[in-house]
Amino acid sequence: MEQLQQMARELLERQQVQVIIGYEAGSEANRRRAVFVRRAEDVSRLIFDDACRQNLATYLLKPEVLVLGKIGMVVRRNTLRSLMQYAVENQLADERVIAIGIGEEGGPRLLPNFAAVEEYLAQLPRGPSAAEKAELKKMEQLVMEQRWAFWREEFDRCIKCYACRAACPLCYCNRCITEVNQPQWIPVASDALGNLEWNVIRAMHLAGRCIGCGSCADACPQGIRIDLLNGLLAREAQQQFAAEPGYGQRKDYALAVFKPDDKEEFIR
Amino acid sequence: MARIGVFICHCGENIGSTVDCAAVAKAAGELPGVVHSVDYKYMCSDPGQSMIKDAIRTQKLTGVVVGACSPRMHEPTFRRACNEAGLNPFLCEMANLREHCSWVHEKLPDTTAKAIDLVRILVEKVKRNKPLSSIKVPVTKRALVLGGGIAGIQAALDIAGAGHEVVLVERSPSIGGHMAQLSETFPTLDCSQCILTPRMVEVAQHPNITLYTYSELESLEGFIGNFKATIRKRARGVDEKLCTGCGVCTQKCPNKKIPSEFNEHLGTRPAIYVPFPQAVPNKPVIDRDRCTYYSKGKCQVCAKMCPTKAIRYDQEDELITIDIGAVVAATGFTIKGTDFFPEYGYGQYPNVITGLQFERLASASGPTLGVIRRPSDNEIPENVVFIACAGSRDSAKRLSYCSKICCMYTAKHAMLYKHKVHEGRAHVFYMDIRAGGKMYDEFVRRAIEEDQVNYIRGRVSRVFERNGKMIVKGVDTLLNGQSIEIEADLVVLATAMTAQPDAEATAQRMKISYDADHFLSEAHPKLRPVEMNTAGIFVAGACQAPKDIPETVAQASAAASKVVGLFSRSELAREPVVATVNRTAPPLFSTCVGCFLCETACPYQAIERDDIRGRDGQLIRQVAKVNQGVCQGCGTCVALCRSKAIDLQGFTNEQVFAELLAV
Amino acid sequence: MSEFEPKIIAFVCNWCTYAGADLTGTSRIKYSSNVRIIRLPCTGRIDFMLILQAFGQGADGIIVSGCHPGDCHYTAGNYHARRRWMLFRRLMDFVGVDLRRVHFSWVSAAEGAKWAELVNQVVDEVRTLGPYKAFPQRFHENGFPVQLTVAN
Repeated sequence: MEQLQQMARELLERQQVQVIIGYEAGSEANRRRAVFVRRAEDVSRLIFDDACRQNLATYLLKPEVLVLGKIGMVVRRNTLRSLMQYAVENQLADERVIAIGIGEEGGPRLLPNFAAVEEYLAQLPRGPSAAEKAELKKMEQLVMEQRWAFWREEFDRCIKCYACRAACPLCYCNRCITEVNQPQWIPVASDALGNLEWNVIRAMHLAGRCIGCGSCADACPQGIRIDLLNGLLAREAQQQFAAEPGYGQRKDYALAVFKPDDKEEFIR
Repeated sequence: MARIGVFICHCGENIGSTVDCAAVAKAAGELPGVVHSVDYKYMCSDPGQSMIKDAIRTQKLTGVVVGACSPRMHEPTFRRACNEAGLNPFLCEMANLREHCSWVHEKLPDTTAKAIDLVRILVEKVKRNKPLSSIKVPVTKRALVLGGGIAGIQAALDIAGAGHEVVLVERSPSIGGHMAQLSETFPTLDCSQCILTPRMVEVAQHPNITLYTYSELESLEGFIGNFKATIRKRARGVDEKLCTGCGVCTQKCPNKKIPSEFNEHLGTRPAIYVPFPQAVPNKPVIDRDRCTYYSKGKCQVCAKMCPTKAIRYDQEDELITIDIGAVVAATGFTIKGTDFFPEYGYGQYPNVITGLQFERLASASGPTLGVIRRPSDNEIPENVVFIACAGSRDSAKRLSYCSKICCMYTAKHAMLYKHKVHEGRAHVFYMDIRAGGKMYDEFVRRAIEEDQVNYIRGRVSRVFERNGKMIVKGVDTLLNGQSIEIEADLVVLATAMTAQPDAEATAQRMKISYDADHFLSEAHPKLRPVEMNTAGIFVAGACQAPKDIPETVAQASAAASKVVGLFSRSELAREPVVATVNRTAPPLFSTCVGCFLCETACPYQAIERDDIRGRDGQLIRQVAKVNQGVCQGCGTCVALCRSKAIDLQGFTNEQVFAELLAV
Repeated sequence: MSEFEPKIIAFVCNWCTYAGADLTGTSRIKYSSNVRIIRLPCTGRIDFMLILQAFGQGADGIIVSGCHPGDCHYTAGNYHARRRWMLFRRLMDFVGVDLRRVHFSWVSAAEGAKWAELVNQVVDEVRTLGPYKAFPQRFHENGFPVQLTVAN
């Protein structure tokens, strides 16, 4: 923690960055929240521990944040993967952010550009945790009617508040599909069809792009297991297309490339 | 407010006998937005079309739905009619009541109900159609002809003769192709080189033709009227501007024992060589794999001897990029070698040769100066066996097609042999004689009757050696399958004509389709025989299928006339079914978020990046833009775009959605 | 009540399956009249959202069909579509959508008989499954949007 604060102080003092975005203590003992540190004397507010879960990358595409100047950011693996995906999707210029890598691999470590982030990520373990895998398996062992009933119940609770979208680093569209009204693909109201469509369409829009931070499910006030949908598609994209979004700068979005021999046993 | 007209066609009995057309018209008339709905016997007839035109004028229609046959059949007809009446043609849609309804269902109420559904779906669509105007693309009036055989030569001369520039690319050191190797041609027995070489010279001297020999197509990008071709001009090792073609280098080259490709390995050539005396251009190339200087670093005899100092050992390949409006693919064919046939000795016997090798033996300019001598000992053979269908029409060899020219050239070979060796005996084993063509059957009859060639209907099972003699073992099916053995001094295999070994790669480079045998696939086997499915690319010669010289020349001229037809316009009009990226008011300028994931999905690289700048020139945003000349309108990007910032004209999200809600 | 007749919506590409279905007609091969074709230029254009919409619109079964691999008029649209379906199918299955009601196929412009066979098979299968009542609907039978459910 002291190391992190020291690093942040130096970045600010040398004016290498104008703001550090990190975590500080929240309203309750086990809660953390984002903090924007702009003066060296405030670096003592920065903390880092396992409770720092929020994916801070979402701030990086906001115009009101970008005007602050060059940004330093305290990043975990998932935030780093978001940065890589921003690079792939043309959303963030290189060297716009100095990342302070921290988390599973210890740290903190300064990562001044995409190449450094990519190199750092290459050393980290990949893939979902055993618990995540087990949960998907458990769902898949249910019969169709049970799965349908489970998800109807989940989606019924959706109030279309779009907190999932707000928390997601990759939901950065100028106009979300749910706001497209010519035609109105997704019914505006929170009805059965609309809720199903919203959650399924969002999952498809993240297929092959989702970096698995789980911020959407964390943010959902209704506790809907959106992360399961994303986890399933991430697993499928990995297994079928070897897609590992957020680990490199190559433009190889799984749904925008193909192989002539992709498996097609389901097509008659 | 929409004012839609619905026109239901009976198509005589075709629709009318199964679907209650009057009921469909009545039901359509009650749909919201429909102001005019009628049925008629033949909508595509003149009176039918007049009904539509009159209604457009009197009812001030804003959209038309014709319930008739497939839009693939008559959409152009009805759109034209609408246009003539002053309604934008893209405000007309067709409901497919014939192919998709009356012809495939029984006469039941459900069938009429389906017809009404189909009309309603299209009415909902057409309400959301927008007037579109065709897209104009400029045409670069310069053609690329790929391949310098007789097909490419003919096409190039025809296009150049019509006053257009031609770039002719040939990968070997000289143009001429296989025709230059032939001795005499059937059915007239006129000398192949005598008729070909003047045309080769004409190519070299034509002011409209730029010739690149020893060159290959590296890449082809773009689309009809606007291709960009990159040509790799391989290093000859000779400065073509300085070289006078005197030939001193080829005479002095100490490394003379290299099998000559032109002579089908029956003769030799030096390491610096001109493939044959009449080559165009008559400038040598250095075979770097065989040249002593490149392998040992010493020699340089040619450089020392060259009177104009034209030898360039360090010359490098050159990449040339040219704007092209149309392409003629005339990349030719190859033949199976004798090593393809285990039953005929796997190429082990020197006296088993291919038809093309026989051509070289028979040619006055060949390795034996036109005397038929067998390769093993240069003796004049007394018994020659010709085997037709060597590989062709043999599905076990994965060559199920007929090579088409072998019957004729085998008759020619036998005849030439008899003319040259009067006392010799010629035998031909054949499956069938396919001699369709002007004076073709007469030619074969002449071989049999006048020149007394022994035609045996049957297959040869084996060729083997016994006591220093070749034995050809076969059957005569006209003698009840009696097995026969013939002692032969020379065996000539009419081996199958196949696609070039790299035909697949060439086709993929040009993004054109090819068949299972790797021959190029024409757009339509009957009605569009010289066009490829990719607009602006045409085909000529044996790269499309086996064919003889007259057919090749005819096809080449046809392809050339297609090119000239294309070049008769300075602009092409294209269907406006293309994708567009929306533009909105500042500060967004477009709902496109600029992720450019569509870039890789587009099969045509039609997505470009558009920099949106403020008045001060500063970059505000980067959003996608579709190059409408390149876009072919598949809509893959539309389905991919998360925020639906891209849409496809003619099949917009609104249109499709409305169709779906009307089902 | 008469026997249940399923409503089948087919999304097909213009160059292969639409033309194939035209050939079914020209060859006068009879098939079930339950299918309604929506013509699109290419399978690449077929948005996965259309499948959800079709079910929400009361379809009991869905056919998606285009050119065989290698035959796409636009060279690669069907390959992109195939990848999309590979993932979307898994997702639909995961949330419990009845995959027996969604059929993907390649029908070329020469396969008129295959088109008829496909439609008949899908209609038969879906007829046995019965109406897809489980899927939430966009509209009531009277044409008005379904009643809003208030989230608890």
